[in-house]
Amino acid sequence: MKFKIIAVACALVLMGGFFHVDRAPAAETYNLGVDLARTGAGAFYSKDGIDAIKLAVKEINGNGGFLGKYPIKLFIRDSHTKPDVAVREAKDLILRDKVRTILASYSSACAVAIKPVAEEYKVLHIAAISNSEDITKVHFSPYTFSVVPNSYMQAKAVVLGVAGLAKKKGWKNYVTIASDYEWGRSTQNNTVELLKQAAPELKLKKEFWPRLGETQFTSYITAIMAQKPDFVIGSIASKDNVTWIKQAKAYGFFDKIPYPGSLISVSELMLQAKTLTRGLVGLCRAPFFAHMDVPMMANFVKNYRAMYHQYPSDWAVMEYDAVYALKQGIEKAKSIDSEKVKDALKGATINTTRGQLYFRDIDNQLSCSSYIGVVADDPKYPFPIYHDLVEVKGPDSWRPKAEILEARAKEK
Amino acid sequence: MDASLIFAQFMSGLSRGMMLFLIASGLSLIFGVMNILNFAHATFWLIGAYVCYTFWHLMQGYGFALWLSIPLAAVTLAAFGCIIEVVLIRRVYNRNLPEQLLLTYAMVLVLDDLIKIVWGVSDKLIERPPLVADPVFIFGTPFDSYFIFVILIGIAVAGGLWWFLKKTRYGHIIRAAVFSREMVSALGIPIPRIYTGVFALGIFIAGLAGAVQGPVGSITLGMDMAIVIQAFCVVVIGGFGSLLGTFVASVIVGEVYSFSILFWPEGALVLIFIVTALILIIRPWGLFGTPSRA
Repeated sequence: MKFKIIAVACALVLMGGFFHVDRAPAAETYNLGVDLARTGAGAFYSKDGIDAIKLAVKEINGNGGFLGKYPIKLFIRDSHTKPDVAVREAKDLILRDKVRTILASYSSACAVAIKPVAEEYKVLHIAAISNSEDITKVHFSPYTFSVVPNSYMQAKAVVLGVAGLAKKKGWKNYVTIASDYEWGRSTQNNTVELLKQAAPELKLKKEFWPRLGETQFTSYITAIMAQKPDFVIGSIASKDNVTWIKQAKAYGFFDKIPYPGSLISVSELMLQAKTLTRGLVGLCRAPFFAHMDVPMMANFVKNYRAMYHQYPSDWAVMEYDAVYALKQGIEKAKSIDSEKVKDALKGATINTTRGQLYFRDIDNQLSCSSYIGVVADDPKYPFPIYHDLVEVKGPDSWRPKAEILEARAKEK
Repeated sequence: MDASLIFAQFMSGLSRGMMLFLIASGLSLIFGVMNILNFAHATFWLIGAYVCYTFWHLMQGYGFALWLSIPLAAVTLAAFGCIIEVVLIRRVYNRNLPEQLLLTYAMVLVLDDLIKIVWGVSDKLIERPPLVADPVFIFGTPFDSYFIFVILIGIAVAGGLWWFLKKTRYGHIIRAAVFSREMVSALGIPIPRIYTGVFALGIFIAGLAGAVQGPVGSITLGMDMAIVIQAFCVVVIGGFGSLLGTFVASVIVGEVYSFSILFWPEGALVLIFIVTALILIIRPWGLFGTPSRA
């Protein structure tokens, strides 16, 4: 009898312990919001970015999460590539899902729209695909960071290359074609302004503004050819860029008119592996093949390929870096509190797949490079990559601090 | 600016117009006969492009892959259209316009999600066969050879539809049904079957248009919403239910867009809407429509 009582008592104690363990509060999660375009013009680039974020989260959660004790919980929303939807989703992520950081966005218009929302609710906002310089230049928010070379940096990189080519080839005039929205306008304006300074003798003959989501560029192609420019500068991205390149090629456009320094990201290199014109001089933001000597990049490429059976695009690289930038900010702050992380990231030097880079304190812009090269086949990859790659470093291409201060003074 | 460049711009406008005609003709046909404003029409067009991609992908080793994929996609969409008409559209014939629009808009959302499930969110590319990969030179000016094919398809569909509606018994019945369903029904002709056939034909043309669009650029989600407004503009300008009107309006919209890009690039899209607004004010039933349809 005594034995039975002791046995039951032991069982109760064990059960109590069991239930006690079960009732213990679950580890606090770090709610991470993603507000990227799963539909609309930006879906093509955003998918790779989301895949990379998932990979980074998996890796970090494999070690217990941020600081080894805050597992990341992902909340992914579709901005539809529309600013109003992006804002609605950002608010929902903050208010309902209690996210501490929002990773965004494909469209610069979306990023610019999300910025004040993040600031109002004191939530971190990292732009990793969209790159209008207005995201960090004016209406500055200390909560918004950019890990992508912005439109000014990219324009400067293009200008450095194009001005040299213009001198060498005796070019006198050019036309531009840019998607008619925030990023297209911003990039085109910056390029034209910088070209005026670098090569004042070059004359801009005409500007073309196809709408975002254009499916037929034929009229633009023939209109540009009618202008007979010495060269064309384009600022078209994502699926519009794929369509533009495909249709322009079918006109023999690239054989007739030089098209230097326009965005041809790793996505386009992979998607149009067979058809892309070799010898084009293109621009990209984060080509993995430029940094395979960086262990973090080599590791990322290996894991990304294992998980998704393809090479990472620029967008994947930058979103992956965004998650790890956040991780390093949290580690530096020794806290997941967004205020502390924001302060820790300001001016911080971080390790990225693109090497060791730093956030400029005046605008939270990462000192990342832009890349210009010649599209060419490479036996190492099943798609063309850039040869004669020129890496234009962030500090050599970003807008001077004085100009940023001047722009901010004007907005007041 | 020499004549050859003006001609090239005209051809660009014509190819754009024919692409719009291929989309808008089915929309106009369905509205003209069935009085259904199918907001999901452009989504069927997009599905046509995806289905064409699937067929092409399965046969891509063969030279005929694209040429066979285009009709196969159109036929697949026609079958899909039959099912949609029987299951959904048939139930709203006697409802008012807002309810019809609500249903067809709901179809847009459902079909877009269906596309995501079946084909994913990645862009799809159809490579062109060598025959239409390189430019052709017309008066010394290069022109995308594939768009010659697009223009020919547009003209063939216009001619085929005209012949079908004017010269065949089935076409006569359809035209009669536009004016008096009751009379056609009193003659013992089953109206529901006519409607199913017309809807399937409209979706067949949408599928054909989508398949033809496939090799033009990349196939991606959201393309339907970008084009549907222009298709509606074409139908409004031409007059709801008028095949000739749709054809003429398509060419007008294509050419206005093309030449405004040449002379006033900033206002290209605005001009189309200005033309549409003017037509709505001056002639609400469109260029070739009838006042009873306004």
